[in-house]
Amino acid sequence: MSAKINANNQNSSKNPEDIFDPDNEHAIIIENLVKQFEDVTAVDGLNLEIKKGELFSLLGPNGAGKTTTINILCGLIKPTKGTAIVGGYDVKKNLNEIKALIGVCPQEAAVFKYLSGRENIELFGNLHTIPKKKLKERIDQLLDAMSLTEASKRKAKGYSGGMLRKLNLIIALIGEPEIAFLDEPTVGMDPRARRATWEFIGSLKNQNKTVILTTHYIEEAETLSDRVGIIDYGQLIALGTPKELMEKYDSKNLEEVFLKITGRRITEGL
Amino acid sequence: MNLQRFSALLKVNLKKLIRQPATLFLMLLFPAVLTLVFGLAFSDPASGMDFNVMVPGLFAYAVIFMIMTVAQSFSDERQGGLLKRLNVTPMTSGEFMGSHIISNMVTAVLQMAIVFVIALPFGFTPQVGVGGMLFAFLMMSIFSLSSIGLGLITATIAKSPEAATGVSFIFILPQMFLGTFMNFSGAMEVAGRFVPSYYLTDAVERIFFGTPLTDVNIWIDFAILSITSFVIIIIGILLFKKYGKA
Repeated sequence: MSAKINANNQNSSKNPEDIFDPDNEHAIIIENLVKQFEDVTAVDGLNLEIKKGELFSLLGPNGAGKTTTINILCGLIKPTKGTAIVGGYDVKKNLNEIKALIGVCPQEAAVFKYLSGRENIELFGNLHTIPKKKLKERIDQLLDAMSLTEASKRKAKGYSGGMLRKLNLIIALIGEPEIAFLDEPTVGMDPRARRATWEFIGSLKNQNKTVILTTHYIEEAETLSDRVGIIDYGQLIALGTPKELMEKYDSKNLEEVFLKITGRRITEGL
Repeated sequence: MNLQRFSALLKVNLKKLIRQPATLFLMLLFPAVLTLVFGLAFSDPASGMDFNVMVPGLFAYAVIFMIMTVAQSFSDERQGGLLKRLNVTPMTSGEFMGSHIISNMVTAVLQMAIVFVIALPFGFTPQVGVGGMLFAFLMMSIFSLSSIGLGLITATIAKSPEAATGVSFIFILPQMFLGTFMNFSGAMEVAGRFVPSYYLTDAVERIFFGTPLTDVNIWIDFAILSITSFVIIIIGILLFKKYGKA
């Protein structure tokens, strides 16, 4: 991290526009971000700042632009316009540095079905070049936390939807990322597994990790988040702590806030 | 290139070869069955065919089908979101492609060994020394590059593993018919010169039937095969990187 800050300081003497987060406070800075797919504008002038160590939920109906925003922040797609800074690095210029900082839990569980759960995690741990001994310890710890130790010996082909979700999440976190993008991490889990996963996600805060969560479960966002951003038609239409939003929109819960702002239920179209 | 990342990816590719029944069949059992069937059918001189001459073509046959498995593998990983997932790790595309290339080259060598061993009891009598044998293995490895490249081109065109199976035959059939053990004349013979398998079969045939490695025709075949294979794999990688990853 210090190398990065130094690099930024060196840049700053040459070009002030290249100073990304000089106070080193923010994990993510998004400015006027636009993403167009032919004639569809998926992200439309998005502005957002997420602090380090914050658990931030991005809510929105289907097609609101949540996944597109996350895909831009991970470097999977290029923005049409605007700036996105992740961990102090520009997504247009420093993708390799960003990839070393992030962990991504995609919406659909993406695992190698012919590998066991443990082998899948090992692979991604190796891709993050974690030393062998530390990797084993970390895998044991994560499998235990997600109650997947026994199943991890079996091939992922035979996993239930909930088990695949757990494995999906462990893979995202094996590299001990500074910033974790969790896209619908608990879809398909039973209520008990979901609660356990919430606890697990909540524990990341204690490790000062930044978590960006997208979810359709309002309760999940309400329970876990420091702040919530509601996005619709690619624009940020509400931002604040769950309490602030409920007070501002005179609502009993976030679901009601969501309904009042977007005119839709969050689960519509699912 | 980071060795830890590269060896982890290579290990996964080799496990895939063994653990996925369809891949295992096409890559290792198919050449064995093919050699067995051709051996049983054509080892008897009364069949009017010379099995001995067919074997170099069978080597090429085995590797040609790599086009299908590579195309299926890449489109399957793309469809399952695995390419995207790998793409957000610190892994480089060189490590990813390199691991696929090495694992497929190893497979090509295994395929040749399988065909070779199974062909022996059916009267295959190669007149080749250790040097010639190693050179033939090297040519098979180089030829596998063209199959990987054509597999990548197929995966770029086809949007699902099922479609990849069908599309792969666009590249498999011409190589099978024009560049292995089937003899044609006239226009078809000329057309054969445009498929990489022709040069592999021609060179291996010469090597296995006593032509010394100093023979210029072997080196011409080697040069053409190497150049075309490298060009095809570079085109395959570039096309897949640009249009096939999403």
